[in-house]
Amino acid sequence: MNIVELSGVCKTYPAFRLDHVSFSLEAGKITGFIGRNGAGKTTTIKSMLNLVHPDSGEITYFGLPFSEHEMEIKQRIGYSTGTVSWYPRKPIREIVSVTKTFYPSWDEEAYRNYLELFGLDEAKKPIELSEGMKVKFNLLLALSHRAEVLILDEPTSGLDPFSRDELLELFMTLKEHGVTILFSTHITSDIEKCADDLVYISNGTIQAACSKQEFLKQYSEPDETLEEVFLRLEKEARA
Amino acid sequence: MNALLKKEMRLSALLLTYLFIGFGVMTLVPGYPILCGTFFITLGIFQSFQSAREANDIVFSALLPIAKRDVVKGKYQFAALIELAGFAVMAVLTLVRMTVLADAVIYRQNALMNANLFFLGCVLLIFGLFNAIFLGGFLKTAYKLGKYFVIFIAVCFVVIFLAEAAHHVPGLGALNAFGFDHIGLQLLTLLAGAAAFVALTFLSYNKACKDFERIDL
Repeated sequence: MNIVELSGVCKTYPAFRLDHVSFSLEAGKITGFIGRNGAGKTTTIKSMLNLVHPDSGEITYFGLPFSEHEMEIKQRIGYSTGTVSWYPRKPIREIVSVTKTFYPSWDEEAYRNYLELFGLDEAKKPIELSEGMKVKFNLLLALSHRAEVLILDEPTSGLDPFSRDELLELFMTLKEHGVTILFSTHITSDIEKCADDLVYISNGTIQAACSKQEFLKQYSEPDETLEEVFLRLEKEARA
Repeated sequence: MNALLKKEMRLSALLLTYLFIGFGVMTLVPGYPILCGTFFITLGIFQSFQSAREANDIVFSALLPIAKRDVVKGKYQFAALIELAGFAVMAVLTLVRMTVLADAVIYRQNALMNANLFFLGCVLLIFGLFNAIFLGGFLKTAYKLGKYFVIFIAVCFVVIFLAEAAHHVPGLGALNAFGFDHIGLQLLTLLAGAAAFVALTFLSYNKACKDFERIDL
């Protein structure tokens, strides 16, 4: 069952065009969204959250058009973006205590568990956190209201190998609990480790949206790793 | 109090904004253009908007489970709350000047504006202009602050100058009434200021909702 669907999403900037982006996310699966820097990953994700207005196309969650059910859908999804600092000089405790008032589904026990798992101190301010800890704080907010779909923009960027591994393990645990995850990355090993499906975007155009196995079957040459496949495809696209 | 306004007050606002409400006390300063107190209150609100912009407040708010236009609602609610708190301080002190201090020599010998209901009407007009020019302008982009605040400063000081000097124009002396003299005229000017505040705020709020809906964050 498709829980999120993008259909023909276009967005034109003076120097870049997101061109008829279409893909879907299957319930309870992890999808890696891969592409080089500037390929259109963040614009696509921002379009999925109504932060960017697509020129055309439709985005639905749980079968409902996002444009008409924005509030209801936002209750059921979680979003985290890399190392952006929200309210850098406010204590985490203060940010959380305000944020949770917007979510009737806020799970205090889950919040406490993730706080401990991520080693975050509520008394600290985002400005006092390392880049990796900022990612974890953003994830903490996204994970604590029992989101059914997580949309994560480069969640592993800035994380040390141990934290990255822990995070990918966490994705797999969440998947077992039925959570659907889309995470963008340019690190192929993240996809190899935990993604069921992948969406590959290059220069604003979706090149592939399928399961990892299908992708390898269709695009890989003998003895090529996933990383080598992407590198070759990118080189071919630029040639 | 709704969650959105609480968020504005606890996360987006600076302590300075609340402290600047105290500039309403300038209503009591003798021989001073007391309408300037209104400007300082808007300066306090501006500081919060500037700080919130640097804290990625707009994107954070837009990601909350609210409609995108509710981000605009929160900003207007917060600004109106501070303005009305400032107005309340000024109104109380104006009533003190209109009653207990109505005959105080220090206020009688004043070339500038007297604290009366006309003054309060002007206060509301300036707050309305702030909402229309600054809030409405900022929410066209959600990042350009300076341009619209500078425009507001220019307009604000033209209004202050005109209001402070109005009673020197032949035929308009009654605007500077002391105590409850010319109370009908005073009430009329207060009501006109209140109507301007409501109209400017409401019209700019509706436009800001449409503008904000269109922008990419």
